[in-house]
Amino acid sequence: MSKSNATLLQELSDAVVEMEEDRAVAAAHALIDAGVDAALGIEQGLADGMERAGKLFEEEEYFIPELLLCSDAMYAGLEILKPHLKKTTAKKAKVVIGVIKGDTHDIGKNIVKIMLETAGYELIDLGRDVPPADFVSEAVAKEAQIIAVGTLMTTTMSGMEEIIRLLTQKKNRDKFQVLVGGGPISQAFADSIGADAYAVNAADAVRKVRALLSESELPEASIC
Amino acid sequence: MLTPKERLLAKLNGRKTDRPPVICTGGMMNAAIVEIMQQSGHTLPEAHTDAALMADLAGAIYEQTGFENIGIPFCMTVEAEVLGSDVTYGTLECEPKITRELFAAPRDVTPKNIAAMLADGRIATVVAAADLLAKRYPDVPVIGNITGPVSAAASLVDPVELLKQYRKDPAECHRVMRYISDLLIAFARQMAESGVNAISIGDPTATGEILGPKIFREFAAFYLNQVIDALHASDIPVIVHICGNMNTVRPQLPTLHANAISTDAMVNLKQLKTDFPEITTMGNLSTYLLELGSAAQVAEQTRRLVADGIDIISPACGLSTSTSLELIRAMTGSVKEG
Repeated sequence: MSKSNATLLQELSDAVVEMEEDRAVAAAHALIDAGVDAALGIEQGLADGMERAGKLFEEEEYFIPELLLCSDAMYAGLEILKPHLKKTTAKKAKVVIGVIKGDTHDIGKNIVKIMLETAGYELIDLGRDVPPADFVSEAVAKEAQIIAVGTLMTTTMSGMEEIIRLLTQKKNRDKFQVLVGGGPISQAFADSIGADAYAVNAADAVRKVRALLSESELPEASIC
Repeated sequence: MLTPKERLLAKLNGRKTDRPPVICTGGMMNAAIVEIMQQSGHTLPEAHTDAALMADLAGAIYEQTGFENIGIPFCMTVEAEVLGSDVTYGTLECEPKITRELFAAPRDVTPKNIAAMLADGRIATVVAAADLLAKRYPDVPVIGNITGPVSAAASLVDPVELLKQYRKDPAECHRVMRYISDLLIAFARQMAESGVNAISIGDPTATGEILGPKIFREFAAFYLNQVIDALHASDIPVIVHICGNMNTVRPQLPTLHANAISTDAMVNLKQLKTDFPEITTMGNLSTYLLELGSAAQVAEQTRRLVADGIDIISPACGLSTSTSLELIRAMTGSVKEG
């Protein structure tokens, strides 16, 4: 890769980290004009920027407003690069995601969704206030590999256990990996209900999904 | 012997008492559990919209739990609804929720007339219930609950867009927050005029984890203080509940003008007291323990809070509606045994 291409990728990544939508669009155009592969631009520019933003979030330099603005810049760049992607046949791993019934707080879920999408997974977003049975039926219908469930409220935590119970009851427990997270959730709680993993935040969710998929030897995601 | 009202008001005014009060404010932290509703026949969601029923349910909770206060309403959607967002009242077990925020972005917000909103919808219901309760229970403090400015704003404007605009368009966000704060102050004053003795503010969206310290200072702490100062001018004491671990906003806690600060279960209140002796601390028994623990565990943890010198003993968060009366009584009993 030429030095100028590396500079262009860096510019795209920086535009995401610095929350600048217009700059991300300009950098994406510059990449295409320079003949850089769009997939590389997504992977080493946009996704790299979101990963750096995720690190800043974990270091408590960035918070939710900053992550949301980074993702706006990321999606703006993605809109430019997407039409230039070569058709790929690689199947993406699917994640069913939602906030459990009784809870309508979905900011955290949206952040996790953004980070997982950026990392190359296909997200099936069930939204907020989702009954446990819907997680199971959608995961089956869409042939997902991961069920990601969040809550911000202690009052709704039992719904997560209900998902596991339904999976076991329908003899589907082995087909899906269940990832839980959200304000009141802990590793101890995840263990107690028999979830496969607990993510402390959105960046961790990406790590946990990667680990779960490599363990189960399902196809790893290819970027977008 | 102090009455429950004398004890709580003394604490909120920074005076010493024989023992800490044990309370459950109401609002987002209400104790309207299924067991009480089924026994008393005063049930949600009907009690959200009927003043007499709201008062009867609040009274039943007081009589049965041992909490030393009465708290209304039982949700944090009263303001959102009167501001114009869509609300569902939920079910017996499930609390009311915002189904759709009225505005997509702060710049879209067109204010309604405050006086008209006060006479409208469930603000009038809550105020009428306060009046009934204050007359029925003269020795028990009635706590009126309002939604904190940041959370109320997030129920009027799409919360994801609002969070972005705190950075991109702070001037418009300030305009929205001033509008909402004016409504909250007027609502709280009406409750106080009808006999409410203290106001509790729950502001779950206003956490350091979500906002970060800068936006917390500029919007959450600033408008909480605007509301608190206005209520103090009318001699109304104010409790503020802050959700989350508070790590990033801890240094800002002494800047809040509240008479007491209530925290989530993960916060070490004893340490908070040591670090900031000027703060009247409130909390913070795990509601997870209260739902799924044993009576012995609940009693032990409650005694620890009392021994740690926590000023006001209270659940740390919203109670699950499937919490049992037995465990709540284990909590309130172990404060009073002292």
